[in-house]
Amino acid sequence: MSTPAIRVERVTKQFGPKTAVNDVSFDVQAGHCYGLIGPNGAGKTTTFSMMCGFLSPTSGRIEVLGADASEPGALKKKVGVLPQDAVLPPLWPVGELLTYWGSLSGLEQPEAEARRALERVQLPETWGVQAGALSHGMAKRVAMAQALMGSPPVILLDEPTAGLDPKIAAAVRELIRELKGQHTLVVSSHNLQELEELCDATAILDKGKLVRAASMAEITGKAAEFRVQLAKGSPPLEEIAKLTGCTQALLEPNQILAVHFDSEQVLAEQLITQVVGLLAQRGVLLTAVWRGKRLEERVLALT
Amino acid sequence: MNELLAIWKGELRRAATSGRVLVLLALFLLFTGLVLGAVGVAMKVVTNQADKALAEAVAKGADPSAAKHELAEQKRKFLSTFTNDEAYVEAVLDLPLVLLAAFKLLTWFVPLFVALMGFDQLSGEVGPKSIRYLVVRVRRSSILVGKLLAQITALLIMLAVGTLLMVGVTRAFHADFEWGAMARWAAKLFLALGLLGVAWACLTALFSALFRTPGVSLVVNIMAILALAFVSSLGGWFRFPGEEAHGMLDTLARSESWAAYLRYASVWHFGQGLLHPDWRQLLGAALAHVGWGACFVGTAQVTLAARDL
Repeated sequence: MSTPAIRVERVTKQFGPKTAVNDVSFDVQAGHCYGLIGPNGAGKTTTFSMMCGFLSPTSGRIEVLGADASEPGALKKKVGVLPQDAVLPPLWPVGELLTYWGSLSGLEQPEAEARRALERVQLPETWGVQAGALSHGMAKRVAMAQALMGSPPVILLDEPTAGLDPKIAAAVRELIRELKGQHTLVVSSHNLQELEELCDATAILDKGKLVRAASMAEITGKAAEFRVQLAKGSPPLEEIAKLTGCTQALLEPNQILAVHFDSEQVLAEQLITQVVGLLAQRGVLLTAVWRGKRLEERVLALT
Repeated sequence: MNELLAIWKGELRRAATSGRVLVLLALFLLFTGLVLGAVGVAMKVVTNQADKALAEAVAKGADPSAAKHELAEQKRKFLSTFTNDEAYVEAVLDLPLVLLAAFKLLTWFVPLFVALMGFDQLSGEVGPKSIRYLVVRVRRSSILVGKLLAQITALLIMLAVGTLLMVGVTRAFHADFEWGAMARWAAKLFLALGLLGVAWACLTALFSALFRTPGVSLVVNIMAILALAFVSSLGGWFRFPGEEAHGMLDTLARSESWAAYLRYASVWHFGQGLLHPDWRQLLGAALAHVGWGACFVGTAQVTLAARDL
């Protein structure tokens, strides 16, 4: 495996007697979209803030593209950040503000970069508007624009769609999809459906500790199980369990049929088709099929 | 260096477009104008009476030069009530009292003015976390120094305007205040106030770096200014061990004590030296201001580097 873009090594952060993050380690591979998940107080914003250099770890180390994130100026030109609750300086016109930040980043054409970034978040009309006059959603997108300026290799986004209306949130998700592959992305969010859609891998935190860090497929079990929502009838569990590659078939609450399989013996698509055919033969009605367990269910089970 | 320049330019631009700097400039000019007006009118009355007494003495056959000399002596005695430093008194004898009074009051006003101007330069960005947009782009030390340089630049511009106003108004009250002396004193006063302002601007940067809430920064900053003034005064209430008493005040009220050394613990003490005719005293005062300023900025840097943002 190649050198990770971000390496979090045994990081602990204490605020006085309170341990906000406790001995957390995980790697983010270059080009991946990585999710940070956890309930309130899990330590994900603290971890995120340490990656950005806002906070220094009490112990441990965070490397971003080989640089120690807590070293002064180490992240310049390497990282773009959308902080969660950082207020835009209200008296600056948006265009001048972005141009100013671009010049601080050492961009050669800060004004052109600022205009490009605003167009990317579909807000070119805010160029001359004072930042204090922007709505919450617009301010969030302007903050997103500043994170994209200069096309940094690593982009860290804290709650990128929180507080946005559904249409704008969808546009932001689409933008994140566009960024995937070209940049290493870390997204911290409470919106698990969104993270499940966007992320290649994720770290689940709870009470400051790392509960699990793995690829999204591993966490949701997409490579090893699928579920069928039944509407009417009893599924032939024994027959399903005998299908090639199937390791277990069981009925979960709410009429959900869970099928576990060995992906080395059978393709998921093949087994799904066989199971659905078998159910149809037995007159069992179904309403939905999905691979793995929903991320939300996994997280609820783990935290 | 490019970082510093970019922050300096950005902060100056922000200062120029913010209403606060304009309000402070207006306040500064108002204060200077009021002091000059009040002291100037009072001095005008005193001068008229002295001129009248001089004219009467001459009419009675007195020697005019002896009478003028007597007036100068009275001014010297008046100034000597504030300091034992004869060289300093001699140096400011040709400075109109109105200008000296305005300068003295400004040395008190400048620290407060600087605090009002810059109390939120860092705390105003740490509280709402807008500083996070900066720290991913530039070093924290660049943010501190760049903002401080912008504050100092704005301050020097305002001090230049204020000094020109002071000297100009003084000229209106004192037609005998020659152009050469005006230019010389304008330069001296500007440099003195500038050096003084730089040290206090560094103190303001320190308190802005220490706290997250701008209001707290301002209040503690003002308390520190008063505390430093108290420490300086406390040191001044005592004579150094072995120092001879000068005059009646020393003999009656100022005892010898090690507490006299306390004056050096406060930047306030060195303000008067900035107008001293002896270059060694002047250099010492200037270095003291720069040194204290460096201590304040150094502490601010250590604080900001270690703090969670």
